[in-house]
Amino acid sequence: MAVAISRAGLSPVFPSPPASPDIAEVQTEEAAVRPPVGARLHVTPLVSEGDLVAQGAAVACLRHAPDICFTAPIAGRIARMSLLPGKKLSEVVIFREAGGGVERHATDRADMAGGLRALLQGAGVWPWLRRRPFGGMPAQDETPAAIVVMASDTRPHAPAPQSAVEGRDEDFARGLHALTRMTEGVVIVCGPVAPDLDHDRIRIVPRGGRHPQGSAGICIHQLCPATLDNPVWDIHAEDVAAIGALVETGQLPMTRLVHLAGAALREGRMVRTHPGADLRQLTQHIALPGPHVLMSGSPLDGHVAQWLAPRHRQVTVLPREEAGPRPHWLIAALTRSVIGRPVIPSAALTQAFGGALPAVPFLRALGAGDEETATRLGLLSLLEEDVALADYVLAEGGTLMAQLRALLDRIRTEAAA
Amino acid sequence: MTRGLWTRETVALLLLAAYLPLMLFWLWFGGAGALAQLGLALLVVAVWHLVFMLVRAQPPSLAAISTALAIAMLAPEGLGAFRMVLGISFGVVMGELVFGGWGRNVVHPATVTLSFLGFGFPGFGWPGFDDPVAWAAIPAALIGVATGVMPLALFAGAGVVAIAAVLAGVLPDPVIFAGGIALVLLVADPVTSPATQLGRVTGGALYAALVVMFAMQWTGAAPVQIAVAAALLTSLVAPLLDEAALALWVAQRRRRHGRT
Repeated sequence: MAVAISRAGLSPVFPSPPASPDIAEVQTEEAAVRPPVGARLHVTPLVSEGDLVAQGAAVACLRHAPDICFTAPIAGRIARMSLLPGKKLSEVVIFREAGGGVERHATDRADMAGGLRALLQGAGVWPWLRRRPFGGMPAQDETPAAIVVMASDTRPHAPAPQSAVEGRDEDFARGLHALTRMTEGVVIVCGPVAPDLDHDRIRIVPRGGRHPQGSAGICIHQLCPATLDNPVWDIHAEDVAAIGALVETGQLPMTRLVHLAGAALREGRMVRTHPGADLRQLTQHIALPGPHVLMSGSPLDGHVAQWLAPRHRQVTVLPREEAGPRPHWLIAALTRSVIGRPVIPSAALTQAFGGALPAVPFLRALGAGDEETATRLGLLSLLEEDVALADYVLAEGGTLMAQLRALLDRIRTEAAA
Repeated sequence: MTRGLWTRETVALLLLAAYLPLMLFWLWFGGAGALAQLGLALLVVAVWHLVFMLVRAQPPSLAAISTALAIAMLAPEGLGAFRMVLGISFGVVMGELVFGGWGRNVVHPATVTLSFLGFGFPGFGWPGFDDPVAWAAIPAALIGVATGVMPLALFAGAGVVAIAAVLAGVLPDPVIFAGGIALVLLVADPVTSPATQLGRVTGGALYAALVVMFAMQWTGAAPVQIAVAAALLTSLVAPLLDEAALALWVAQRRRRHGRT
């Protein structure tokens, strides 16, 4: 059946040298275990500094849900365990060392929903899942209304998920079938990856190539909106293939396809590395001379970091912009203000949401802190990364993302009360 | 941090670029009188923007130039400087600046000014337009739509109703010309026109329907007066149209997904 692919969205251009088609396998000398972006999690350390750990071995677990573990992306020795006040996880740094081996997890109960859940939580897959509303990883016993598998990523310079799961069709299909045991709803695959699937609860939905059509929040908003009572999870196609391999072999593949791009690089590069990889080592020989910033994630929604964030698949290297001299006071008065500039409706803004929702009323509701209208228009399906393009297009410098997060936090507090 | 282009001032600049053909033709045919009128309007609008910048720290906008152009083109003739200054001050301050500047206003400041001048000084005649000036509204709309700063759906809604009225023979040429110019200058303003797709179609259709109704029923009204009155009513109804369009959109989603 031919399905019309929407052409909605934008293709923002960020300069970057071309990447060579070869994919290098890189395990960095140092790696870090970090919590999902934006999360502050109380943990119980399971290892101490100086211990030798296997790849995939648990290094910490959540204090209030000890089944959910954070696992080592590489085999090596624990170099540093930094916890924030209140024993919140900051980072666990591991030095690579041969001889650690690979952790093997028991898979005998993976056919049952409860067994599979325990396997995914124990093997460290849980932080790769993300729930909506509010973001972050799902609660220990949460059952989603649907799971969206992102086999499409339209962010600028994002590696194509198809090439990440190329040759792993069996693992991918097995992973999808495993996911159907986690939900009573549908498992929706967004993107062109279409292995032979024979399951009435797996749906394949093609997506267009322009951003934000391959943004998980926009897909969820269009296909199965998340609400307080109907959480929706999303996961990357490559991670689904990893689940498929874990279920079969008991070993969780830690590799992921990462694209190194950005204006401060001499050449782009595709590497197969692991979560928590050291960005300095990955970009060491290809960065241009001069000051630059290393970002985990895309130029739109990435953040300055030393380690590759748990769900990220891109590294962006940008030249560091030095603050210029202060402008004349009159110029400053004419061009800047404490009060933010209002959003002016334009076609660019509509396309920044891929036409998926009424952009101007939504942004006005965000700006006014009107949670009722924003929720009616689809706020609960969205996270910061889904409004990142609108933020970029309107040159807001992060204001929209901050407004969205503030509103989500307020709704979460009210819902918890 | 890298940033995109579409700030408030970019949209104001593109709107200005869209109005350029209209302005040039109008100045060409209007001569020194038109230039003086534009200069006066620009001066008064700019002074009020500066006052609000200094007193309220409200950054001025290039949209002031578009407002001045609309006022200069459509204001009643022979008012004299004092009445013009009074009208523009009322319209720009009460219609735009007290709400927080361009982008937060509900009604186009030029529409408020023109309505104020029309109601306040009914003895003065409204301007008429030469054919080439009215035709220049078409490239203005095309530039606006192509750059994405004017809503295509609004023109489509207005066009359908206008074509039907022309075919029925109830829309005389001068009203079409004035209606077209006011459509581009006042109604298609991105801020005060409806913000949803369905709202834009109905808003455009409503504007054209109001123009047709006034042309048929309002005896003795000048074409520009008709267009300004229709523009004022349309922008006042715009929030209602948006609200209705959003309610429909939410209802459709609820039917499809069982939740929003």
